[in-house]
Amino acid sequence: MLASLSDVTKRYGRTDGLSNVTIDFPAGQVVGVLGLNGSGKSTLLKLLAGLLFPTAGKVTLFDGPPREKRAKLVYLGENDSLWTWMTPADAETFMQGLYDDFDVGRYRALLDSLAVPKRKTKAMSKGERGRLRLAMALARDAKLYLLDEPLAGIDLLSREKILQSIVREWHTDETILLSTHEVAEAEGLFERVLYLREGRLALDARAEELRNQGRSVVQAFREVLG
Amino acid sequence: MTTKSAWQLDMNAGPIFVQIASGVRRMLARGDLAPGQRLPSARDLAAELGVNPNTIVHAFAELERMAVIETKRGLGTFVRKDAPVAALRHDLLRAAATAFSAEVTALGISKGEALGVLKEVLDAGES
Repeated sequence: MLASLSDVTKRYGRTDGLSNVTIDFPAGQVVGVLGLNGSGKSTLLKLLAGLLFPTAGKVTLFDGPPREKRAKLVYLGENDSLWTWMTPADAETFMQGLYDDFDVGRYRALLDSLAVPKRKTKAMSKGERGRLRLAMALARDAKLYLLDEPLAGIDLLSREKILQSIVREWHTDETILLSTHEVAEAEGLFERVLYLREGRLALDARAEELRNQGRSVVQAFREVLG
Repeated sequence: MTTKSAWQLDMNAGPIFVQIASGVRRMLARGDLAPGQRLPSARDLAAELGVNPNTIVHAFAELERMAVIETKRGLGTFVRKDAPVAALRHDLLRAAATAFSAEVTALGISKGEALGVLKEVLDAGES
């Protein structure tokens, strides 16, 4: 197993971010992490990234704790922490200095296909910054990509470009977890979908299997929430 | 062959791999795709349709099993020269006829009247 959570609970003060969740992630899956705000999507991704520790239970990544395996994972958080003075060229130097697995050729190809302007980030739109951040993330060669809401709050065209880049860059031995509200747009991409509700795993299903039962991922999402 | 609308993917209409496989068969039956023609790579088609590349691989495997397409190592995926185009055309016609027949039965209309209307419509070239 590439990564797994076994009976994991994460509490924030009195509230549960995640309750008794057990999930295995084999290599080579594109997984949709779906749920409303506060359902535990970000908590799940941060636990796998080693940015949070479970209150109870165990998180493993390549048979070890996530903290020790950080080099093999890419985490793209919700917060846009790009320096305002940075251009995409500055970001390239920055990423090269930080990560051995950063592939400059791949990064430049991604900037191109995602149509990222050469401006400083302070002069970019939210969609443009989102595309730049995705290029930085996908240009790394890792085994696990944790993408937290890469489609949130950006324009339709950017969302389409982002989904296309993910399809193009995904290697079949890599696992991608992508959390999103934009279920309808992204559903074709997912092999597997996890539905979180109030910190619990409400459904863990194969997308094509849902459709085989006559339900789209979107419909199943509504049923789980309803 | 590849405009997104031509595929008519519908997330509520069953597995995507099945829809893609029938899309290829439909294009072949209608002449939008010819025997011997090369198909886009699974990766390109996946990116264009916004679906998982494995789904396309699955659809292509299904079509290969049905002797519609073949993969030539290092060259790509092609419609087989001996693809059963006539049989595919017949299958689609039969499916349309079955749907017509079901509607006729549901409406309680006689065979004679139904055939009359069908002939009228065919003669007028309506679609």
